[in-house]
Order: sequence, then C-alpha cells, then structure tokens
Amino acid sequence: MGSGGVVLLILLGALGWALIGVLGRIAGWRAGRPAKVDWLAGLLALPRRYLVNVHEVVARDRYASTMHVMAAGGLVLALLLVVLVHGFGIASPWLAWPLLLACVLTLLGAERVLRRRADRPPRLSGGRWNRFGWAIGGFALGLAWFTLPATGVMADPGLLHPVSLAFAALLAWSAFELADGLAHGPMRHALAGALNLVTHPRAPRFSADRPVAAIHPIDLDAPRLGVETPQDFAWNRLVMADACVACGRCEEQCPAFAAGQPLDPKFVIRAISMAQGADHVDDRHYAGRRWPGLERRVGEGGAARPLVADGGLIPPAALWACTTCRACVEACPMMIEHVDAIIDLRRFQTLELGAVPGKAPAALAELAAADNIHGRAAARRMDAFVDLDLPLLREVESTDLLLWLGDGAFDPRGQRAMRAFVQVARHAGLELAVLGEEELDTGDLARRLGDEAQFQRLAEANIATLARYRFRRIVTTDPHVLNSLRNDYPAMGGHYEVVHHTAVLLELAEEGRLKFQPGEGQAALTYHDPCYLGRWNGEFEAPRRLLDLLGPGRVEMARHGRTARCCGGGGGAPLTDIPGPRRIPDMRMADAKATRAGTVVVACPNCAVMLDGVTGDYPAVTEVAELVLARLAVPAERVAA
Amino acid sequence: MASTDALFQPLTIRRCTIRNRVMSTSHAPSYGKDGMPQLRYQLYHEEKAKGGIGLTSVGGSSSVAPDSPAALWNQLDIGEDKVIPFLQEFSERVHRHGAKIFCQITHMGRRTRWDAENWMATIAPSPLREPSHRSFPKEMEDWDIRRVQQDYAAAARRLKEGGFDGVEVLADSHLPGQFWSPHVNRRTDGYGGSTENRSRFTLELFEQVRKAIGDDMVFGIRMSGDELLDDGITPEEAIKLARIHVGQGCIDYLNINCSHVYTERGLANLIPNMSMPVAPYLALASLIKREIGTVPVFHAGRIPDVNTAARAVAEGHVDMVAMTRAHIADPHIVNKLREGRVDDIRQCVGAGYCIDRIYVGGDAICIQNPATGREATLPHIVPKGQGGKKVVVIGGGPAGMEAARVSAERGHQVVLFEKAGALGGQITLAGKADWREGLNGITRWLQGQLRKLGVDVRLATLATVEAVEAEDPDIVVVATGGHPNLNEVKAQPGHVVSTWDILNGTVAPGENVLLFDDHADHHGPSVASFLVKRGSKVEIVTPERKLMVEVGMTNFPHYLRDLYKSKAVITPDTRLTEVYPEGNKLVAVLVNEYTDEEEERVVDQVVVEHGTLPDDEIYFRLKPLSRNLGEVDMRRLRDRLPQEIVRHPDGRFMLFRVGDAVACRNIHAALYDSLRLCLTF
Repeated sequence: MGSGGVVLLILLGALGWALIGVLGRIAGWRAGRPAKVDWLAGLLALPRRYLVNVHEVVARDRYASTMHVMAAGGLVLALLLVVLVHGFGIASPWLAWPLLLACVLTLLGAERVLRRRADRPPRLSGGRWNRFGWAIGGFALGLAWFTLPATGVMADPGLLHPVSLAFAALLAWSAFELADGLAHGPMRHALAGALNLVTHPRAPRFSADRPVAAIHPIDLDAPRLGVETPQDFAWNRLVMADACVACGRCEEQCPAFAAGQPLDPKFVIRAISMAQGADHVDDRHYAGRRWPGLERRVGEGGAARPLVADGGLIPPAALWACTTCRACVEACPMMIEHVDAIIDLRRFQTLELGAVPGKAPAALAELAAADNIHGRAAARRMDAFVDLDLPLLREVESTDLLLWLGDGAFDPRGQRAMRAFVQVARHAGLELAVLGEEELDTGDLARRLGDEAQFQRLAEANIATLARYRFRRIVTTDPHVLNSLRNDYPAMGGHYEVVHHTAVLLELAEEGRLKFQPGEGQAALTYHDPCYLGRWNGEFEAPRRLLDLLGPGRVEMARHGRTARCCGGGGGAPLTDIPGPRRIPDMRMADAKATRAGTVVVACPNCAVMLDGVTGDYPAVTEVAELVLARLAVPAERVAA
Repeated sequence: MASTDALFQPLTIRRCTIRNRVMSTSHAPSYGKDGMPQLRYQLYHEEKAKGGIGLTSVGGSSSVAPDSPAALWNQLDIGEDKVIPFLQEFSERVHRHGAKIFCQITHMGRRTRWDAENWMATIAPSPLREPSHRSFPKEMEDWDIRRVQQDYAAAARRLKEGGFDGVEVLADSHLPGQFWSPHVNRRTDGYGGSTENRSRFTLELFEQVRKAIGDDMVFGIRMSGDELLDDGITPEEAIKLARIHVGQGCIDYLNINCSHVYTERGLANLIPNMSMPVAPYLALASLIKREIGTVPVFHAGRIPDVNTAARAVAEGHVDMVAMTRAHIADPHIVNKLREGRVDDIRQCVGAGYCIDRIYVGGDAICIQNPATGREATLPHIVPKGQGGKKVVVIGGGPAGMEAARVSAERGHQVVLFEKAGALGGQITLAGKADWREGLNGITRWLQGQLRKLGVDVRLATLATVEAVEAEDPDIVVVATGGHPNLNEVKAQPGHVVSTWDILNGTVAPGENVLLFDDHADHHGPSVASFLVKRGSKVEIVTPERKLMVEVGMTNFPHYLRDLYKSKAVITPDTRLTEVYPEGNKLVAVLVNEYTDEEEERVVDQVVVEHGTLPDDEIYFRLKPLSRNLGEVDMRRLRDRLPQEIVRHPDGRFMLFRVGDAVACRNIHAALYDSLRLCLTF
C-alpha cells in the first residue's frame, strides 16, 4: 500500500469519526426550540459576514489575526488539495507543490498558536485548547511528509519505512484529534462558527448602517417563559454557543468581571455549550477562568437540566451582575450574543421563579403599580418642568418634536439635563411637546430584568397613546428610552423616528442656531459613551462632533467608542446590586481621571447618576446639554425658561 | 436627595402653578425708591427667581393709601397707578426665570408714624396708642372704612394689571388684624365685639378685592395664628377667624405666622433670631392647616435649611415653606439643592442683621453675603477670571477667608496664613457668647468653599515678611484683624480686661463685674449675658442714652430679657474714666455724660468693650516692598475697578488691607471689603 493510501485511509477514518460526533452534536442542537431561519439569505451572506464582520473583530488583535489566516487558511487549502492529491491520487507537482505550501503555511500558523500558548494570557482557555496547536502542526507535518513524493523531490520511501511510520502515527493522532474536536473540541468553532454566521438570529447587526439591537420578544402564552435548560434556547442559539473559541475577549471587556463581580461572559457561553452536549456534566474540567469570587465553586447541569441555579453551571449572581452593556458582544470574533442569552435566562428566573434579587423586585412592583419604577403618580413626571410650560401633546395634538422625558424626570440629576436641553432647544427656536402624565415607563428596565410581561404591557400602552397624536420625531436625553422606542417597539407594532438629544443639539449647532462662547482656554474634557447610544445604537460620532464645536481640548479615555467601559448603571444592575470588591463606576472614573481631563461629559441620565456618585478626587461630571447650555454665547441664565 | 423631593412638587392655586414649594415671603428690604420697585428692588428678587425659587412674594407692607405711608422703610406705594409700569417690568423679570410673583398690600392702621411722608393722622378701629411707633390713632369712622376698603381693591387691581400672579393682604397687626384683635378693637358698633363683628371689615374688604382681581389671580392673607397676648388673638380665635374668611370663598391661601408687631418685643418673637430654635412656630401653622384643611397654608419663621423645609412639607405641616431670610443669605438655594450641591448653600445663621438694619434706617443687607441687595454691581456667583496670579492672604477671619475665596474663584493660586489653629477670627470669638454660636455658620461655609477651591490654608502659621516673600506673590491681602482697645480707660495693666479675655476664657468671670460698653453693638450685651449665665453680678455701663443703640429689633429684646431676668443693672449716660485697685477690689470711676458728676463702684472685675485697634505690623513691614505702597484708589474701589496705583515700580506685589485690619467695623464690612476688592483681581 502506497503512503498516499495511508493518508486517504486516515483521513476517511477521521472523517467518519467526525461525522459521528457532528451528527450527535446536531442532534443536540435540534433539541433546542425551533427558530425561523432564512437559509438562502444566510448562505448568500456568509462570505461577507465572514470576510467583513468577523474579520473586522479578529483583526483588532493583529497577532491572532495573522495566526488565524495562516493556520486556518493553510488548513482549508490543504484539505481541498488533499482530496485531489491523495483522494483522487492525482500526483501532479502542480497540485502537490501548492499542497506542500499549504502545509507549510499551516505549520507556521500552528507555531504561532503554540508560541501564544507558551505564555498563555489568562483570558485563553487551557485544556484541550493547549493540544490544538500540536494537532494542527502535526497534521500539517504528516501531510507534508506524505506529499513530498508527489512533488518529485524524493521517492516514496514506502509506508514501512520507519520515518513514514512515525509520520503516519503523527498524522493519525492529529487527524483524529481534529476530527473529534469538530464535535467535542476546539475545531467545533469552525463548523458551529460558520453555521452561526448563516443562521444568526440578529441578521441586522451585519448591515453596514447602524445596528438594530432589538431584544427578541417572547410569546407570553408559551408553556415555559424564558430559558431554564439549554434545550429551552432556540436551536440556532445553541449553535451560537458552540461557536465560542474561548478567546476570552469578552472577559477582558466585561465591566462586571473587572469589578470582581461573579460574572464571566465567556463562562456563560461555555456553560451553555458544555451543558447541551450531555445529559449530565459538571464544570470541574472547564479550563478557562471562573466566576470571580466563586473560583472553587462546582456547577453541574445537562441538556435538560436548569442552567441557572445555586449548584447549576451558571450561578444566579452571574446573571444579575450583567449591565447589558454589550461590550462582550462587541468584542466577540464569533458574533456571539451573550446579552441575549442572559436576557433569556433572566426571563425564566423572573417570570417563572420570581427569583429577582436585591431591590429589583421592589422596582418591578412599583412599575406594576404606578407605571414607573419610582412608584410616583403619573402626574408627578412633570413636576420638575412646570415652570418651562412645555405644551402637552394632549392639548396641541401634533408637534414636530416629541420630548420623551423618561424616568429620569423623577430624578434630580436627570431633571437637570432635561431642563438644560429644553432651555437650549428653546433658545434655538425649537418647539417641543411632551406627553406629560400620559407617558409611561417604556418598559426598558423591565425587559432587561427579564420581566417581559411588563415590558409588553407598557409598550402596548405607550404605542396606543402615541397612535393618537401626530409628530415627526421623538427626542430623548435617555439612551435607554431611545433604544427601547427605536429598537424594541417595532416588534410590538410601534415604528418611530427616535433621536438622541445630542443629535438634535448637533443639528442645531451645525445649522448655526446655537452660538457658543470662544472655546479656547477651556479645561480638557473627555466623553463617556453611553452603552445604549454607542454599542447598542452605533452612535459614537454625533456627541463628539458636538463637543468639538464647543472648542478644542477633547481627549479620549483608553477605552472609548466600541470598547467604552460601562458606568455600571445598565440592565438593572444598580437594583440587583451584586456585590464585588470593586465598583464599576469607580473604575470608569479612574479611566476618566487617567486622561487628566477636568470634566467627563456624559449623555445618559444613568451614567450621570452613576459617575456623579463617585466620591473623591475625580473629574467633574457634566451632561452634554448642561455643558452646551453653560457654553452658549448668550449667558445661560438669560435663556428664558 | 430623596428626602427633599417633597419640595419639588409643584403647587397649583387657581390657574397659578408654582414650580416648587420654596418661597420668600413679603418683606421690606427698604430698597424702594420714591415708592416704586425700581432696578435694585427688582434685581434683588430676580436673583431668587434665577436661583430656582418657586414663588417670591414682594412688597412687604406695600401701601394702599396716603395715611399708610410707604416712605417709612422705603416700601412700595401701590396706591397710585404710576406704579403699574414698574410692576409690569418687575413681574416680567421674575417670570422670565420660571418663578411666580405675589405682592403684599396693606394699610398699617395705627402701626406707623403720623410724621412720615404725608403727615396724616394714623387710623385704627379704636384710638389706642401703638407702642412701637408711638402713634395715637384716630378712631375710624364710616367713610374711613369705606375708602380704605376701596383703596385695597384698587391696589389689587394695579397688581393684576402689573402682571402679578397673586396678592396678599397682611392682616397681622395691620389694619385688618387690628379689627380682628380684641387687644386693639374696642368698638361697640357692627365692627367690634363678637368675632363675627370683628370680621365684618375684612369680609367686606376681601369681597371687594376678589371682585377687583377676578377669578384667575391668587389672593391670600397673612395672619397671626397666636398673638401671644393675653387679650389678643389666641389659636382658637385664629382658627375661628380663618374658618370665617376661608368660608367666604374669596381667599386662596393662609400665610401663618406667630406673635404680633405692636411692640419691639413682639416683633423679636415674630422674626425668630438665632437664640430661638429652628422653625419654632411650625406646629402653629400645622394646627391651622389641620383645622382648616381646604386651602394651602404658607409659613415662614426661621426655616434656614432645606432639610427642615422638606420635613415641613413632606410631613404635611404646610404647603409652601418660606425661606425668606435664607434667600437673603443665598438666593440660589433651590438650584443648589437641585444640583446636589447642598454643601454649597450659604445657610442663614439667623443673625437678623438684614431686618435689624431697616429698623435703624438702613437697607436690608446680609451679614454674610455682600452681594445681596447689590445685584446691579456684585455677582452672587463670582465669575471666573483670567487667573494666573499668586495671592497671599494674611489672616483667616471673615475678611481673609472671603479674600481667599474670591481670589480662588477668580482662578488665582491662593495661600492663606492664619496664626491661630483654626479659621474664623473674631467670628469664633463672638460665637462663644452663648446663643451667638450660630455665627460660626459663616465660617463653616467659607471654610468649605476654601477647601473646594483648593486654597492652601496654613493654620498656626505666622506670616512673616520672609514667609510672604517666599511665596513670590503678585498680590498680598492683609486681613489680620485687630486687638481689643483698652487704652481709653485710665488703668494699670491687668486692672481692666477685655470682652475677648472673658469669651476666650483667658480671664475667669469675676463675682461683681462692671462692664463698660463703648461700642453699642452686640459685643457688650452678649458678654454681659455670658457673665450673668456664669454667676457674675453685672452692671453694664454705657455713655449712650440706652444700651445697644446699634442692635436691631430682632436681637436687643432677647438681650434685655436675659439681663433683666438675671437682675443685671443697666446704667446709661455714663462713662468709665478710671480704674484703680483698693485692697483686693477695684474701684471704677464713672462720670455722667450730661452733668460730669462722678460716682464710684467697688467691684471685682472691670470689663471694657471699646472696639479694636488694627494688627497692622505685618502690613507696615510689607508696605515698602509693595508696588502701590498699600495705597488704595477709593473711587475705583467703590466702582469695582481694578486697583492700578503704582508708587514703587520695583515693588514685587500689590498690597491691600481689608476688614478690621483697616479699622474696627463688623463681619459684613469685612466680607464686603474683600469681595469688591478681590473681584477685580
């Protein structure tokens, strides 16, 4: 038997082994809930999603990017050529040489994989991932040896030659290691990753314009609300979890993880993946970092066992430490949606178990009673604004710009920013109207705390109210409101053009309707991106352009834009209040202080409260509209209320 | 923040929605000019509107008729149509900032002077002498009643035309209250006797006022819930009166206070000073609100802090909480509260300097905020300047702290030397005199501001010429204050002690003490009170014809009460000339100011208050090193222009003296010296 036949034999064997594993894995995915998938569109979009969207994220880490191009590119090329050279036995140097080159490329990639592993950063998982480089390298080396005869540089030494035997053994081990990994190990990322790109539940995130980051609604009449076991996830979400490459980029970005709260977004995804493949499994062999503060914890679960429980694979505290800031999602090269998973898991905890911690149950109870989390009478929403004589939509019936006050209207910090915005807008001659006591909480917080029922109730009520009036756009100072109305309401039947007040202020400034004091000599400032304006809605530039119109001296924090660190105020985290050794807002203010700017500018009432609450020697916290008001050429105090 | 939320709930009365529950009640700052609310008056109230207040009620005791003269405390005269354009300008100015504006109107009846302005006899329900103004009124006849009622209605109509949101009739101790109070009303016709009869004048009056203003405008009354007089309006009577008048349906709110103002003692109770607890009469307002229930209740009375204010509203005692003097100290209370800057609120200490000044013929100015009432020329928020200079301030009393604060606000780098271990200077000293402790609030605020502004405060550090030069300053402000002047009494050292020695505790109070007060301000009586409370028998001697000529009506009654209660002897018209020892006693030689007759007292201790002499040693050492040789251009100082005198071009810095380092004055003068000077840095 020629040595080429050996290659064929090994590869067919490995392929068979892989097939058995993958079929098992597919059976696991199929146990998930059904999902509507547009296969044709997904398949057509695959190349672009891979080459553009995935590449954009991967390329942020140059080393990893080169590594992956070499290892994966070499391997894919080698596998294609190997079918011709060894499968069909076409021993042409025209094919053999490229195959050899592909092997060399793979080998160089494998070297980079191993080099990175030599001094493994803690975010990378160990375990089987530590063997991955050896398997790829071994595979490339073995393949190369058996391809040399076809290139003509040496005669086939025969299978019984000791060297050939050694290479055959190497090739066999590595091929089976990779094949087995396709279902149960690192190679799974290739299969599940590609499939994830095809069947991704958030197709809009791949579009070139602004992302639409809606949370998927659920049917409140379903027998089980939210996700309890892996099988409660839609099947494509199970595929998504399997796509994880355990690179830990999410972990690096997670503000809760950095604060030492027991949340590790990577472990959340790995836990789902781990659990779906077995009837019963525990995490003792998990090779990544563990929940901060709960390092000795052992969790267990399975495809049909609860994921979130005291002894489960995911500790409840992990779920409730999440600020839903999407930093993990933004960092993920595999396009995994960690926050969606967390929301699904929260929904079961909230709607089926009522197991919401901290002050969140009280807030949800207030919301049920008063339609706002502060438990105030609806009429009180206007208290802070009576002297501004804002027209009520109920009286004027139509307006160009509807100002949505949001629940920040009940909070003195939020009120200041809103008042400032109204004053500036009026100064520029803009007409605004409000809903007044007809406005209810958008349901944003309820939805993020898993209380989908309240979200849907509030959304329906607000949509019915809005249907009675005519307006062109809705403006709000609260990115959470913006996100809710813009992204969450369409699925409920409400379609609106929603703008953030920074965008309106920028319009006014660029139209020359706002005149500012000379900007020279002002102390430096730095802009803190609100998660729900930035990552959730892709708006990074308008606030910055607005600030630059006020004068020079804007500096950036090391983490800004897509990688900005959350203030800690999202997703109901201040209410669930999961303790940790550090506080997220303290860390963010330290980020701001490191820029040496005198002021950190915020554009969200939650950020304002969180960052303003940090005591000590830190930059001042100013809301964009407050800053604009203070910098108007006409002294702010002369701006008629 | 949650605890003050109650203050931020708007209140709607008729069509008037007040944005929050914080107000300033009508008072007479004595800023009127020719009876009109002109620029100074308007700016004073506009500042509060700017500062976020919900309602500012202006025109305390605004006159409606010629025999209730407006000239007395430079009040407003709403009795003629010529006031209307001023009112329109005024209301627009306040409305611009989202606040509401009411005005009080009144006929003072017998509570005024016959020899002021129009020289007309005062009037009252009954011809009983009014003690405070020493007027003997005419008993009102039928046409007096008629014309005064019409005058009120006409004045209310003028306010409506002036764009005001509300009108308030002052009942307590003024004509309406004089009809109500059995203490004053001895009539036997239909306007006297029973409560119903005593209410007849006001029922007719209120109906006419409501008719004049229509249904939109708010109309309320300010009344005493308890006159604290045996034959006056008791709480029971006040409730009865309130019920009768609210039941009539013309008035929209009750503004409740306590006591009366027929006497100076009554006034001192009505406007509680720092010897009284915070919010002493809140329970009375609460009682009226509970008994009446149908209309909002407003209340003023030493509510200096936002927590007390919030409690008063949150617990339902009152609907609007008046922080009137509190806004004189800081017109930006509401904004600061809203912005979470409670620490920045300059809290009223209750010194009563503002109101006391108007009763000695001055204008209302704040002991601790020189910008109040001077809005046209002094800002409440010090504008940021170019900065970049090094300012050295010597002395940490009021003048020095204010100089450091204002210089730092202007952006300069400031070093403050204070030789004592703490800031405060003479404020700290004055605060040791029992109930004057509240004065320390002035220091507390200034100190907090210095900390925020990063002023380099060096305590227990004597400023030498070398130390000052080591800082290489551009400007040096000497605010070293002074030391007690004991030179004017002939005595061996140690035979007379100063009021400072007593307050500092460096000298223990003697058994029999003669206190010679040649200052006529708070110093003498406060130290006398301090002594009697520690068991001394005190005779207080003054060359003035009465004690405390410079102490106003909200304070001197409290001193007199303390002194008389402790059997202190008060000897006016007498000067202490000499003290000499005799055995283990001291002989104090006293000379009558009008007869030159001498008499002697044998006592254990002689305390002298004769002001201070400047501590000016460091000033005169620095003077030759300065560019201006210490000289000040007084006209430029008055006009708030930068000082530009150069007498010594090689000098390294400009040198100024402020406060008592110049001459003995008071806290306000010290702060004002520094504010107007340092604003130009």
